[in-house]
Amino acid sequence: MGRRERQALAKILERLEPMLEESRWTNSRAYEDDAEEEEFQRLVGSDLEQARADDLAVVRSALEADVPIRLDVEQTWRWLRSLNFLRLALAERLGIEEDGWEEKYSPREHRRPPLATLHLLSWVQEELVEALASG
Amino acid sequence: MSAIEELAAQGTGTSDQTEQHRDHPWRVIVWNDPVTLMSYVVFVLRRLFGYDLETATQLMLKVHNEGSAVVATEARERAEVTVAQLHAHGLQATLARD
Repeated sequence: MGRRERQALAKILERLEPMLEESRWTNSRAYEDDAEEEEFQRLVGSDLEQARADDLAVVRSALEADVPIRLDVEQTWRWLRSLNFLRLALAERLGIEEDGWEEKYSPREHRRPPLATLHLLSWVQEELVEALASG
Repeated sequence: MSAIEELAAQGTGTSDQTEQHRDHPWRVIVWNDPVTLMSYVVFVLRRLFGYDLETATQLMLKVHNEGSAVVATEARERAEVTVAQLHAHGLQATLARD
């Protein structure tokens, strides 16, 4: 990944990270019942937030460092989780609610921000999944 | 070890449960969302449950095509940990009594 790509990703992370706290999809419920959900969040909510913050910090550090990015399996998973959260937050911000959303936008819209940002994050995530798959 | 992996190692517990209630099976359900990559879902299912590629792919397709799929049936405490791990990977997941 070149310096420009790293800077672009770092900026994207900086802009999207604050959205994670409020996003419906990045804070999903475990239980339908409110009391059970409250108990579940009491038990794991802060751990989940911390785990996500830790993953994003690893990604941010790698993007900001002036060395080639080389990821072991554990670091790859941190990137994968982070990218997924960022994609979910951006999609929610764009009002994407259901499958088939791609067809509602013109090719031109797909090539420009903010959709292009979503596609970039998707591409990086797919590359990492493929890297894991190929062992 | 990440915070969520420590959580998995410790397990979670809900208070005031009888042995019978604790052992009663609960379904862990993964729900579709319009952006999570199918390839990623398959990998998460393989990582968390040890499913082979075919099983994980079938479950992912069920989530994608039908809106949701039961990915595990476990005792409540274990199911809570599993759902927390799915949430930690950004998947929409719930648990419900079997």
